[in-house]
Amino acid sequence: MKKIHIIILVVIAISIAAIMGTVADSSTYATFNVAVANEGDEYHVVGKYVKDKGIEYNPQQNANRCVFYLKDNENKELKVIYNGAKPQDFEMSEQIVVTGKAEDGIFIADKILMKCPSKYNNTSDPSKTSTSSDT
Amino acid sequence: MDIQYLGEHLLPGQLGNLFIVLSFTAALLSSVAYYFASNQNELENNSWHKIGRLAFYTHGLSVIAVMVTLFYIIFNHYFEYQYVWQHSSKSLPVRYMMSCFWEGQEGSFLLWSIWHVVLGFILIKKAGKFEAPVMTIFSSVQVFLSSMLLGIYIFDYHLGSNPFILLREHPEYMELPFVKVPEYLTNLDGRGLNPLLQNYWMTIHPPILFLGFASTLVPFAYAMAGLWKKQHAEWVVPALPWTYFGVMILGTGILMGGAWAYESLSFGGFWAWDPVENASLVPWLVMVGGAHVMLIYKSRKQSLFTAYVLMILTFILILYSTFLTRSGILGNTSVHAFTDLGMSGQLLVYLFFYVLIAAILLIVNYKTINADNVEDNSTSREFWMFIGALVLLVSAFQITFTTSIPVINKLFGSNLAPPTKAVEHYNSWQIPFAIIVALLMAVTQFLKYKQSDLKTTFKKLMISFVIAAIATVIAIFTLEIYNGFLIALFFTSFLAITSNIDYIFKVLNGEIRKAGASIAHIGFGMILLGALIATGKSRVISQNTSGIDISKLGKEFNNMENIMLAKHDTLQMGEYFLSYKGRRIEGVNHYFDIDYFKRNEKGKYDLAFTLSPIVQTNPRMGNSAEPDTKHYLHKDVYTHITYAEMEPAEEAGHNHDDEHGYKKYASATMAIGDTIFGSKSLIVLENIYKEIDSVKFHFSGSDIAVGATFKIIDIHNKISFAKPIYLIKGNMVSPIDAEVEHMGVKLSFKNIHPDNGKIDIDLSEKDTGSQEFIILKAIVFPFINVLWLGCVIMIIGTVLAIRERLKKSRLNIA
Repeated sequence: MKKIHIIILVVIAISIAAIMGTVADSSTYATFNVAVANEGDEYHVVGKYVKDKGIEYNPQQNANRCVFYLKDNENKELKVIYNGAKPQDFEMSEQIVVTGKAEDGIFIADKILMKCPSKYNNTSDPSKTSTSSDT
Repeated sequence: MDIQYLGEHLLPGQLGNLFIVLSFTAALLSSVAYYFASNQNELENNSWHKIGRLAFYTHGLSVIAVMVTLFYIIFNHYFEYQYVWQHSSKSLPVRYMMSCFWEGQEGSFLLWSIWHVVLGFILIKKAGKFEAPVMTIFSSVQVFLSSMLLGIYIFDYHLGSNPFILLREHPEYMELPFVKVPEYLTNLDGRGLNPLLQNYWMTIHPPILFLGFASTLVPFAYAMAGLWKKQHAEWVVPALPWTYFGVMILGTGILMGGAWAYESLSFGGFWAWDPVENASLVPWLVMVGGAHVMLIYKSRKQSLFTAYVLMILTFILILYSTFLTRSGILGNTSVHAFTDLGMSGQLLVYLFFYVLIAAILLIVNYKTINADNVEDNSTSREFWMFIGALVLLVSAFQITFTTSIPVINKLFGSNLAPPTKAVEHYNSWQIPFAIIVALLMAVTQFLKYKQSDLKTTFKKLMISFVIAAIATVIAIFTLEIYNGFLIALFFTSFLAITSNIDYIFKVLNGEIRKAGASIAHIGFGMILLGALIATGKSRVISQNTSGIDISKLGKEFNNMENIMLAKHDTLQMGEYFLSYKGRRIEGVNHYFDIDYFKRNEKGKYDLAFTLSPIVQTNPRMGNSAEPDTKHYLHKDVYTHITYAEMEPAEEAGHNHDDEHGYKKYASATMAIGDTIFGSKSLIVLENIYKEIDSVKFHFSGSDIAVGATFKIIDIHNKISFAKPIYLIKGNMVSPIDAEVEHMGVKLSFKNIHPDNGKIDIDLSEKDTGSQEFIILKAIVFPFINVLWLGCVIMIIGTVLAIRERLKKSRLNIA
């Protein structure tokens, strides 16, 4: 066997390892029901912030803890504790992706990604923006 | 539509549309004409050739005219155009008008297109016998790009998105009531440019990045021409300087993106492995690999097939990354992915068109391409260069695979989410690759083509090895690097630097103009080294300032990277003492002035520097934070506001329990030696005593007085004592509280339990509730300047290499 063949085999092996490694490292998008059913497993949950219930954030006591409610795509609502500072313009977010795990019926998030409809992109829902633009 | 709208400027839009259509048709004509021209026997000056050239000139001028028109309507605030309305406003400073131009997708495609035109003009002059086939490919790419701006309906399919569409005709806005009023323009203002993009980086980063994207088309076009015209031996030499050029420009663009993220986005670093960043890094890695394989072919006539594949792949990956970032598919995984403008289908067609053609050409030519013999001698330079290219390819593959998780979900209906610890995930793969690449950069130059004597090679490398080893040992102890992979990377990247410096002097006799490759390698080594130290040893200093209370915070303590700083309060962070002075408001920007003090030998505090991180308010797009960084030669102190009340709280005055602004924090029953925790202090009951100065405290012999001594340790480990007194005067209990003002702590002696000797205590703390405060995160990045210096050196090295390459190819022709 020529060296090049060995090299090709090694490259293929590393590539397969990379695929496996990525799949092993990757998390799963899920709903709260799944997360609660599998407490302790890491999930990404996509949902909307429940505005009526507000967000509890007392930086004087703990600058790294905010508590709010999120409604997932199956309309299931769950309390979320995020161990971090309250993101700027949390209230304006259209959609929120929280990453973390469920513990005792509460979702403990260590990462939060907000999608503000008009922040980073160009097109947006006109119904949301028309009021501020026609003056 | 009977409304007669007032004050509209329709002519520029009509002209713009005319030029868009013209640029599209001219590109099509040019491509077809060049195609026929390249099938002619006499390659130059046949009539097809002339038509192709003329059509490309027409196309190029039309694209430039489109750009001028778009710029004209932005500059004149013609808000009747949706693009202008969407991306600019009357108050926008002129210096950011360029940014509006490419904020939207249409503008960014236009920018890309313009660079292709510029490169195309140069190729028409320089490509010689390759002109016709190369320009066929070039023009065909321009057909696709121009179609992105057409904005016409073909049956029901919307082709492209037109930047000259009127606001009142835009499908999303035409139903708005205000566009139905004839004089709607009188008071109309645009929606303004995203404040994140109002930044000088945004003025220079996109043009450079898109020039980088555009420059990958040149080697791709040469490779395709080589396959198609079976000029396997000829395309590499003219394409090589262009490949270097692409490596340099795309590399610069990527690093500028990193610098932008570091300086003005609150990413907390210069590289976050964000999908959008990855999307431009991957083609660069493949192109660097491709450039080295082309070099192998040039010197040894080997590995041609791999050279073809890598250069084709580079361009395909540029298209793929455009698809990823423009189709909205990254939606939930990246903060700055664009949403779909309905062009993802078009982008896919574009992508598959070139994948298909390239695949067919490669398969058809497989036999005629010189058998891809890699020199089977593992002591040869080309062998290890080839290995290096493969490592880069595998590294690119790993990044692409993880970044493509959303695509995999779309294709297979799976529910994979990107790794939760994305940075750790990428690092765990990329650091080993980087170790190998750095080692190869260090060693390979000393090897000879074909075969080398390992003993002499090793001898030559000896000194570099020794220096790098010493440096690594020093680094382990001074920088406290304990991770094995990081130590290995430190060693190999340091070795890459020293051995390439050594090479310049030993082999090239210090001839700088020939040392392009070595200098570029030194630069890349420094980038790796700088990134390794700056991120591997970055310290979040806005945490663990207390030294107490860790147990109470529990296992999540390490996540606590944000800290609250009240106005006029001082907190210790690392070696600094931070004091928040207050905010200044200038327009939309809120500057938060934070003084950084350092303690000198005498124990006094000297002002080291003041940072003013910004929160920019924007009611429509949301507030955004911009960090501020103090740059030292050997480290950066980076600070950004993670949270601040945007309507400043009223100053102290209400909501307090007593007139001094104290609020009860805790009550406890304590024995001597017991400890209670305040929010920022630790309080120990030292002793209880009865010897009290009756004159000072105005009581007589029949009254009961007991004193307590408390030791209070604050978060700076400063110690104070407080002595509250429990006093029964007559029959009245009138304790005397002890206040430690600089700590904001007050203790009240409430009761004594004679039976067990314990006492009741109330702890009050100065209320910061109504005081203005900020939440911030501060990070120290050591030696980050090594990284930036490495970038500059790498660019200089690549420029030298291009110059030398051009000189040689000129000599070859002559």
